[in-house]
Amino acid sequence: MTPRIEAVGVSKSFVIPTGRRETVREHALDLFRPRRKERLQVLDDVSFELRPGESLGLMGRNGCGKSTLLKIVAGIYQADAGRVEVRAAVTPILELGVGWNPDLDAIDNIELLGTVMGLTLRELRRATGSILAFAGLERFAHLELRHYSSGMAARLAYAVAFRAVRDVLILDEIFAVGDAEFKERCQVRYRQLHAAGHSMLLVSHDPRTIALFCDRALLLDGGRIVLAGPAEAVADRYLSILLESPPLPGDEPVSQ
Amino acid sequence: MIPVVATDVRQGHGRFAGLVWTLIRTDFKTRYHGTIGGFVWALLKPLTMFLVLLAVFSYVFAGQAQYKLDLIIGLFLYEFFQESTKTGLLSLRAKGYLLTKARFPSWVIVLTSASNSVITVVLFSIVLLAFLALTGRAPSGGAVALYTLYVGLLFAIVSGFSLAASVLFMRYRDLNQVWEVVTQAGFFIAPIVYPIGILPERLHVYLYVWPPTPVILFARSVLLQGKAPSVLAHALLLAETCLILGIGALVYRLRAPRVAEDL
Repeated sequence: MTPRIEAVGVSKSFVIPTGRRETVREHALDLFRPRRKERLQVLDDVSFELRPGESLGLMGRNGCGKSTLLKIVAGIYQADAGRVEVRAAVTPILELGVGWNPDLDAIDNIELLGTVMGLTLRELRRATGSILAFAGLERFAHLELRHYSSGMAARLAYAVAFRAVRDVLILDEIFAVGDAEFKERCQVRYRQLHAAGHSMLLVSHDPRTIALFCDRALLLDGGRIVLAGPAEAVADRYLSILLESPPLPGDEPVSQ
Repeated sequence: MIPVVATDVRQGHGRFAGLVWTLIRTDFKTRYHGTIGGFVWALLKPLTMFLVLLAVFSYVFAGQAQYKLDLIIGLFLYEFFQESTKTGLLSLRAKGYLLTKARFPSWVIVLTSASNSVITVVLFSIVLLAFLALTGRAPSGGAVALYTLYVGLLFAIVSGFSLAASVLFMRYRDLNQVWEVVTQAGFFIAPIVYPIGILPERLHVYLYVWPPTPVILFARSVLLQGKAPSVLAHALLLAETCLILGIGALVYRLRAPRVAEDL
């Protein structure tokens, strides 16, 4: 079967902020000064494929390039080298906990995010009630987002994203949001979509999440794929790596 | 469990129209709290400016028969240019949170950012035309059509500038301050508070390079004097518009694919 997504030799680097000129003033003043250019290689020759109906996990420590890879596959970032062939419509569910318009209420924000994610206004207006119900936020429909907690905002975002599904879903840490009830709701929804034949590309820090929800997994380290195979085996390997080395701040597995 | 039905998302006109309408509606709501009353603030700035400038310069240019109308047309068109280029320049940065969510045509954000300024200038134009009609100076249909064309060309100029400036602003974070200085100086380059005739004719060509100048002068000419500028003058304005729009689209096309990385 033809893969839904095929990435071949994908590389990506960023100019790190200390080496960047960010204003017209800096460019004008540093015109004749040699330019200090420091680049950080985030992805290095990454290749993988996502098959139809498959759930592929992506694991690795903070800064290993997982989120950058997801954004390249979603078409939000561009790769420096290599190619990504996306042969199906993609719904990215990325960075959804942040970046609402704080001056608008939940309903307006649902329309804003929903239309960006590809829903029509008619579909959104029909779905608003069920989106708010999924997020458990019916009572706060007319409350401006500035008054929402970060958890409430994230729940609302996932509820919109789970409504706007296409053939392939790209999901970044979706089971790390909200309370136990909401997590359970997301997990059920994930299983429904997987059973319906949607392909999933799922990033998580938690080996248990990958082992439970994915068929196959990739382990990223230093921007390269160091291990690919059955989800459980890759999750075990990741866990042993974490246990071998002292964890970095914020690198602990996410508890379910 | 609460059942949620997923919607199979497809590309189409409905999606695009919904995105455009939502961006315009939410911009209006954010800025004016969704009320027409809030919209008064948008009109208040150029009106206050008009009263202050009129109080001073009507003595200086007492000999100019239509100074008041010249001044208010110049002020509103320049306010449209200044405000819409400012919001256009900041547009991608201001809505950066949407750029990292999904892949969609980000130029929609840039072009819809001028919507509030467009509403203001349309409202002003209706009031102006009504005033002219009530005072027995109703412009002809052709004059109104030409005026609409000039405002349309100014919008195209603003769009070209905004397309380029919005992507460049992601790399040059003080571009908004540079542009503020330019538009402030541009207020006096464009003949808004003074009649262009007080300057030597050899300087006029330089003033015409500043895009608001020909638009303001042509608008005054057709609405107040009933005279259409020459075909050559129109051709030059059209060429200037195409040039700015073309360069803007080119710069945007080159930089837009990586704009999310500069957030």
